[in-house]
Amino acid sequence: MTEAFPSTLVGPSSKERKYDRQLRLWAASGQKALEESRVLLVNSDGPWGDQSTGVSGVVGVETLKNLVLPGVGGFTIVDPAVVTEPDLGVNFFLEEESLGKSRAEETCRLLRELNPDVEGSFQTQSILELIQQDPEFLPRYKLVLVSGPIKHSSLDALCSAARELNIPVLYTRSVGFYSTFSLQLPATFPIVETHPDPETTQDLRLLNPWPELTEATTRVENLEGLDDHQHGHVPYILLLLHYLDQWKESHGGNVPSNYKEKTEFREMVRSGARTSNPEGGEENYDEAVAAVLKSLNPFSLPSSLREIFEMEECKTPTPKSADFWIIASAVNEFYQQHKMLPLPGSLPDMKAQSADYISLQNIYKSKARRDVEEVTKYVRRVESQLGPRPIDIPDKDIEVFCKNAAHINVIHGRNIPQLNGDAPTLKSLGNNLSIPDSLVTVFIAFQILDGVVTDIQTRGQSGQSLDDEAAWSTQISRAIDEITSDGSQVLDDDCRERILEATQELRRTEGGELHNISSLTGGLVAQEALKVITRQYVPLNNTCVFDGVHSRSEMFKL
Amino acid sequence: MPRDSYLKRSLGTLSRRIRESRVLLVGAGGIGCELLKDLLLSGFGEIHIIDLDTIDLSNLNRQFLFRFEHIKKPKALVAKEVAHKFQPSAKLEAYHANIKDSQFNVVWFSQFDVVFNALDNLDARRHVNKMCLAAEVPLVESGTTGFNGQVQVIKKGETECYDCNPKETPKSFPVCTIRSTPSQPIHCIVWAKSYLFPELFGTSEDNAAELDHSEDSDNSDEIANLYKEAQALKEIRRSMGSPEFAKKVFQKVFKEDIDRLRGMEDMWKSREAPKSLDFQKLQEESASVESTISCNDQKVWSLDEDFVVFKDSLDRLSKRLKTLQDTAKDGVNSILVFDKDDVDTLDFVTASANLRATIFAIEPRSKFDTKRKSPSIHE
Repeated sequence: MTEAFPSTLVGPSSKERKYDRQLRLWAASGQKALEESRVLLVNSDGPWGDQSTGVSGVVGVETLKNLVLPGVGGFTIVDPAVVTEPDLGVNFFLEEESLGKSRAEETCRLLRELNPDVEGSFQTQSILELIQQDPEFLPRYKLVLVSGPIKHSSLDALCSAARELNIPVLYTRSVGFYSTFSLQLPATFPIVETHPDPETTQDLRLLNPWPELTEATTRVENLEGLDDHQHGHVPYILLLLHYLDQWKESHGGNVPSNYKEKTEFREMVRSGARTSNPEGGEENYDEAVAAVLKSLNPFSLPSSLREIFEMEECKTPTPKSADFWIIASAVNEFYQQHKMLPLPGSLPDMKAQSADYISLQNIYKSKARRDVEEVTKYVRRVESQLGPRPIDIPDKDIEVFCKNAAHINVIHGRNIPQLNGDAPTLKSLGNNLSIPDSLVTVFIAFQILDGVVTDIQTRGQSGQSLDDEAAWSTQISRAIDEITSDGSQVLDDDCRERILEATQELRRTEGGELHNISSLTGGLVAQEALKVITRQYVPLNNTCVFDGVHSRSEMFKL
Repeated sequence: MPRDSYLKRSLGTLSRRIRESRVLLVGAGGIGCELLKDLLLSGFGEIHIIDLDTIDLSNLNRQFLFRFEHIKKPKALVAKEVAHKFQPSAKLEAYHANIKDSQFNVVWFSQFDVVFNALDNLDARRHVNKMCLAAEVPLVESGTTGFNGQVQVIKKGETECYDCNPKETPKSFPVCTIRSTPSQPIHCIVWAKSYLFPELFGTSEDNAAELDHSEDSDNSDEIANLYKEAQALKEIRRSMGSPEFAKKVFQKVFKEDIDRLRGMEDMWKSREAPKSLDFQKLQEESASVESTISCNDQKVWSLDEDFVVFKDSLDRLSKRLKTLQDTAKDGVNSILVFDKDDVDTLDFVTASANLRATIFAIEPRSKFDTKRKSPSIHE
């Protein structure tokens, strides 16, 4: 992950300096993925009736801004709308001269100014026409962003086409003080570099030392014979291993296994510290004592990993399998052999003399290297069994996988959630509705808005618009019927009231966006887009709601 | 439909109050650019922007009001100029200045309805916090790092203030703070431990985790100068063991480097300029001081005592390194590493840090204090 751009004698390149801050977050590998990605933004799907030009698309443009600045490869804006006066009041990427011109063209032009490295293009046709006319259109993109509300038929056609092609979709809506967005990922979406909290990734193997580590412990066998300076500088890892040996001698070869034994063991370690010094103790012993409870847990395969190992993709890789699954099956083989995962090999900082620390570090590093070599051997064997593949899996990828093995993740992507009878969605909605201050009501209100817009756009008689009372009440009843359709849900009055209240906020603003809410939402959406594109960190699964009135957000798996 | 239709629908009559308000935005960086845009498009009528920085290449990936052609120009002025085009009806004022300057007093602060902090350092945040409490102006405080961010509303008498909770001191420091503009005892300790000590007895400073070498337009020239200084110190290292060694090191780091820094007038407009030390004078004044003073680790040593301990510990360390080198096998590069339990290294770091503290009018620290502030770092 820390793979760097080729460095030259003159120091960092201007590109590295420009992207310095973000490279610290996703490294050169993430940057490369970003630069190789083209993103499609569907920023509106035509007017809503006679009185509204439709989605103002601020949230879409703000999301793109956050992808253009860090250097996404390119983008295309699909937007049939023409710039109006209210657009100028809410969209930063439009100016006086834009009035009356194509909004796709104007926002594209101003966004491109942000970063000369990024390609931008636009389409003034509707998305449905584009995907129907040109089957080559959609496959060009690594990610699809949609600014809603848009009519069901367009959303459904786009989402199912994207699903066929394994292209992730982010569907966003921002109205008044509320916003929501959902992420549709492919059925299996594996992530290697999940960037877990460094605290949780420590793997010292104190209960399963390998010969070189045991050998290092024997060098401090005679702790009592060390002078004060040496005694205060024995790395705590070696202290723990030393006292574990002592413990095992008096406990029939067993290690401390429960809380009581561990606290006893901790006391045993503590009592070994020399206190006849001005500090009244030794820092390395303090570190050892502090590490007892968290470092002496026997290894067990994380359940998420067990699940991955049991997936068909992992058990029987095919010539068409992604590299991830071939490496995963090799790591599984490693696990079956050793009942352990490959050692990550990193060591925390600790009190020690530098030479001792470095030699301990080398013991961990070389063990990690040997584990990677073994996994690589399995990978190569699987590759040769599968027959010719376009390219061999790079060594670097196997190494990164081994380092992150305990924290890899596979997300089972779901469709953009809608009120269309999908059982898991209904169940999850029901569960969340029973929580009194859940923001799920805001999500339902947005589903109702989608329904109203669909109604206007498809059946739209002239004059019908967003303040049409009848259209809203029809959609509200439809939504409530839908939620209660499987018979397991009974909506009490309070629940209904909360849904109506949330809906009222969307009605009151007639679908209009507030810049600050859309801008913030654009930041959140771009964040998820970056995770999806770089395949680093764990993305949203699958819906987020933001409530600007109470400054709250909530995530749902719908 | 008029331009502010969406605002009026959401905010109703409140949109007028927003239009009639005057707000202050402190900082035009990552958060500042975004916030300025959001304030403009939320209809705020009068916005004052202040920032003392100029634009650097490494800002362009997020500070979207700035382009390549703006590099080295003042952030506040460019932000105003660029953003104004998108909302010509708003009134904007920009200051290329330090918010801590005395012209921005309590009376000045009290003209604002809200103050927004979009800063990158603890010191300025604390200052604005105090000013807003004194002027009774609500403050919206914000910050980000990596993928995390936070916002806090501070209103006198109603919420806690920025300093109600102690803040963790940062673990790493910008290289220029350590090498050119220290303002706290810890900056001097880190200088002695992570720069001076390794340059004389170890490998280079480049690997020290406590030094952040990020460049921006303000510091790129200074970083080049600092590099030259470090090279010159490496030259002096060659004369280790000679009777002139202590004087050479002293003259270099406590006299010549300081005089060069003092010459950079821009740096000392809002800070006190450093005053270099005179080897000869200290030599004479400290004639009666015994080097055993280094055993007193609770006392804050006087300048003369620091001087004596500096020379004495430098001598002890030089001899140790010499012995190591003489006994080392061929091809092994012998070095000494700072360890707070190693008395020679701790003496050296304490004395050097205190000499530097004197130069920058910073309070010196006892050996005991210095030890407490020095974690063992192996990175």
